[in-house]
Amino acid sequence: MIPFFAQIRRDLAIAWQHRQDLAVMLVFFVIIIALFPLAIGPRQAVLTELGVPIIWIAALLAILAGFDRLFAQDVRDGWLDQVSLSQLGLGWYALAKAVSHWLTAGLPLLVMTPIMAALLDIPMAQLPVLITALLVGSLALTLLGVIGAALAEGARHAGALLALLVLPLAVPILIFGALASNHDSGIVSPHLMLLGAVLAVLLAIAPLVAASALGTGETETGL
Amino acid sequence: MAHDQQQNPLPAPAAATVALKIDQLCVLRGPVLVIDHLSFTLDAGRFCCLTGPNGAGKSTLLRTLAGRLPATSGAFTCPVGRIYVGHADGLSPAISGRHNLASWAALYAIDAKPDTIDHALDAFDAGSFADRPVHLLSRGQRRRLALARLGLAPPNSLWLLDEPNAGLDHAADTHLDAMIAAHVSAGGMVMAATHGPLAASVPQVRLELAGNKAGASR
Repeated sequence: MIPFFAQIRRDLAIAWQHRQDLAVMLVFFVIIIALFPLAIGPRQAVLTELGVPIIWIAALLAILAGFDRLFAQDVRDGWLDQVSLSQLGLGWYALAKAVSHWLTAGLPLLVMTPIMAALLDIPMAQLPVLITALLVGSLALTLLGVIGAALAEGARHAGALLALLVLPLAVPILIFGALASNHDSGIVSPHLMLLGAVLAVLLAIAPLVAASALGTGETETGL
Repeated sequence: MAHDQQQNPLPAPAAATVALKIDQLCVLRGPVLVIDHLSFTLDAGRFCCLTGPNGAGKSTLLRTLAGRLPATSGAFTCPVGRIYVGHADGLSPAISGRHNLASWAALYAIDAKPDTIDHALDAFDAGSFADRPVHLLSRGQRRRLALARLGLAPPNSLWLLDEPNAGLDHAADTHLDAMIAAHVSAGGMVMAATHGPLAASVPQVRLELAGNKAGASR
């Protein structure tokens, strides 16, 4: 088996053993969204107007919530030491981590989105545009989270540091994503293309940044 | 000079090729220069025993050679593959030992068929617990699973072992010694940090690290 896919398979097997984490993340996503209608009150026009931004904020928080543990377990187990000497290399390793994290965090959110859209009274006709934008946006957020997780790895308050590092950088994704989701004429909008450009840039730099952060950082294992 | 290298008189291997070459290596850990201008060469088919008191830099040297710590100055070259077994076992507690071993082999592009993996596990009598999740296993059992990787390693590789026999029972100790002997006689290299006797029957090069007792002084 190609090392890249072996790493993904390993992460998915571990994620399956920790599947309650996935449930926690999904409930978190649902609760954030469910709280907004309660706070807004019985004003349907406001809710319809705010529906798309609410879904984006909830998706952003839910995807990034799991990132503080992305590399921590592998560092503690000593798996990272094994990866760094292997044929896989740290760059491909980081990319494999991104793929498996997206499959276990991003994809379930996309599946839940139609239900959440109904809860927020988003018109069904807008759903394909919203899902497409969320698909590209969640991939970009995952790569951004990989960069943040690699940089914050080993820090004492990795979760808080990660949020400080990543949330400001997530602003372009949020802006283009929300704009692309509200586009009326056709799925492919200029905003979606810009979102795709963000994804392309992140795809190019995320493995490099993560590899250099994980390669030279003094990890807590061993000594 | 903080390092004292003793070369025991050894029978020269048929074709003595320098495979690991360490050149004026310095490694700084915080303010302490743990490895101070170490130069050392290890030929193919040799077993190097790293000794020295706690804090002498044995683990630091092995982690540097494994690429996990940056060299402050100096360099080392090693043209063959390196296999590192450190203090951490490199096993995910959530999945079985067999799955851990199979994914490790795949990452190192080692073509491991199920019976090859069985064979590697049997070398440390690990077959009976290899299908249990690792978090249910004892310290020594995890150690045996970590060492079972050595059975899959390519024959000419350099093994970097950090106190490999810590926590092993007597039977596993014997298996490890036999494995080191077989690897060395097949032309591979082993560098192991140890406090107790390890593979005593194998002719060994001793590298005694004294560390930097004075702390930050150069």
